[in-house]
Amino acid sequence: MICAGIDAGSRTIKIVLMEADTLQVVAKGLTDQGVEQDKLTQKLFQRLLKSKGVKRKNVTRIVATGYGRNAVSIADTTITEITCHAVGVRHLVPNAVTIIDIGGEDSKLIHLDKSGKVRDFAMNDRCAAGTGRFLEVVARRLGVDIGSLGELAAKSRRPVPISSMCVVFAETEIIGLLASGTQREDIIAGVQAAIAARISALAGRNIDNPVVFTGGVALVSGMDTALQSALGHGVTISPDPQMTGALGAAILASNQLDEAGS
Amino acid sequence: MTDTPGQITLQRWDKHFQQLQRAGVPQPSYCGPLSRHVENGDTRLLKLRYDNSAAALRLWNFLLTEEDRLHKARGDGKKLVGTMKDLGTIPVMAYSFDNLVAFYPDGAWWIPCVMELNSSLLSIADKLGIDESFCPVRAMLGAFLTGAHFPIPELLVCSVGATCDDFSAIAQRLNGLGYAILWWEIPHRRTPEADEPAVKLPGGFSAAKSQVEFVKSELARIKTALEDLAGEHLDEKKLSAGIKKANQVRSLLAELRKIVFTAPLCPLPALEMLIAEMLAIHFCSDQKETIAVLQALLEEVKTRAKAGAGFLSVDAARIFWVNPVADLQVMNLLEECGGRICGTDYLFTHALDIIPQDLPPLEALSQMALADPMVGSSADRASRISADIKSFGAEALIISRIPGASHCALEGRVIGEIVRDKLGIPVVEIEVPPLTDSIQPTLRTRLEALVETVRERRKK
Repeated sequence: MICAGIDAGSRTIKIVLMEADTLQVVAKGLTDQGVEQDKLTQKLFQRLLKSKGVKRKNVTRIVATGYGRNAVSIADTTITEITCHAVGVRHLVPNAVTIIDIGGEDSKLIHLDKSGKVRDFAMNDRCAAGTGRFLEVVARRLGVDIGSLGELAAKSRRPVPISSMCVVFAETEIIGLLASGTQREDIIAGVQAAIAARISALAGRNIDNPVVFTGGVALVSGMDTALQSALGHGVTISPDPQMTGALGAAILASNQLDEAGS
Repeated sequence: MTDTPGQITLQRWDKHFQQLQRAGVPQPSYCGPLSRHVENGDTRLLKLRYDNSAAALRLWNFLLTEEDRLHKARGDGKKLVGTMKDLGTIPVMAYSFDNLVAFYPDGAWWIPCVMELNSSLLSIADKLGIDESFCPVRAMLGAFLTGAHFPIPELLVCSVGATCDDFSAIAQRLNGLGYAILWWEIPHRRTPEADEPAVKLPGGFSAAKSQVEFVKSELARIKTALEDLAGEHLDEKKLSAGIKKANQVRSLLAELRKIVFTAPLCPLPALEMLIAEMLAIHFCSDQKETIAVLQALLEEVKTRAKAGAGFLSVDAARIFWVNPVADLQVMNLLEECGGRICGTDYLFTHALDIIPQDLPPLEALSQMALADPMVGSSADRASRISADIKSFGAEALIISRIPGASHCALEGRVIGEIVRDKLGIPVVEIEVPPLTDSIQPTLRTRLEALVETVRERRKK
């Protein structure tokens, strides 16, 4: 039996197909999010099925998560991304206690207990300053590809503090910095530090090791060190960070099959 | 019990009301189809879901006709007292007089929600320099200036000192606009020194005796002003009788809270409980009718609980809720997400405690004013919340921030950390503006995630 986890995020849709009994990943993939997200999801789903020769009828349970979870018509049920990321990360990093998930439109801090269950969580979704959106804005403003931000930030010798609490104002601040001749590497490193500072404020004193970093922004090099510096804790990037939500959703689909069976 | 418990839309309530009328179910004169309030501009009502009992309809109609009652009281020659910020003390005194009617102009903070921002009250406040960095209570300024909601009271009384900074600023702006305010000071409740005479307050906190004496002198000043307004001396016997009536309201609410928060199946939705609890402080401008409304509600709830009837599933996550919401729809949303309210601190838990009747009445009221969890430290408030969470068996805590409210910005994290450390339950902070429509998906995610967390924790 195959089960599937679909993470309909704000920027990308991720799908994991998994053997329900062994929790072995059969296929995984992602596509950009768009207006017709249900169609995009189905297209990606069909593509993954085809790539592995899996028939639709053999996918016995589908769990959707993420910002667009309620729009996924092929899902049997929905579970929030908090629970899915917790399950996905814990599967990959069994001793994880604190999870930082920074996505395109929001960021989350999830605390797990010793058994891996969610103890509690905090979310920032009213302000883009602690999210991947900030990186997108700065990349566009500096005329660079988002994938090269980490590489550029690594060259920074003097990261410039970004004082604005809001991305819109921060963009204006960046324009001013560019006009005054500040190196773009220093601006990028400053933006990374500003995002990390927002996450640190979200966390308060509520951080326990090990800290695992997940979500699409974990793929931007330099963000992990910015977080380490802001939090004062070591930060490990989760394997396959962009897929942990979908992975968790697939595992939960498998658990639901078990529960139904028993 | 009027029907199988359920939650219905406004449109269904109108049909249901006709059925009640045909069946000859007696309803007070202020009752009628709820949709008439929509015609008056309360469009948010169209989006809420309501308890389907006749008792709940009466509660809603009672709430939504308060302005009519205030105008009628004025027409009948009664004197109006606008009490602000004290949350439950001055109205007890005011309702001890025969010809005074007290109400909270601060209650205008719900108008922007109920009228879905069509009231212009917030934009009036904006123009007065009190913008969105202040609590939605700033809507009160617009209500005073337009005169469209409540009659301007003969006397305005406001507590100041250990109260919200933003509210004090709003009230001072009102004062600056020419509305005379009689201020009285409530000091920050501090822990008495080791060698200092102390008083154990109702609800469990302690205060220095000197602080109680100070508050007593302040209340005596207010009492004199009320006597001048009423043209009547308020002796101890009359004030004691007023306290007794207030205690009747509090007793009814205590019983209601106990049954609703602890019954295996939730017998009354969160929204109606929020409205009912608020009656403890403002009596909706009619203390006698408040008692009748609560008695009817309690009877309904008892019948439901006895029959094992209620809403939601038995496995609904048991949530303790801190601070009232600016958008009433969020209470419906919690239930949609699989949660039920099992305990609340809507900023006035002291007004739900019984006022001592074995003390001189002014002493008793002074103690109650100082027992307000909001006038002490955040740690005090958190300890009361922790005790209530235990007694109601709640499994998680939601701290609902009111945008701009100074106490929310300061207290939320402190309360959350203390409760988390003491009880080990999940704590989530949310912010609820007057209209949540645009942020509902993210609010829903938080609430659903909390419910999932609670359910997962139940598994061994």
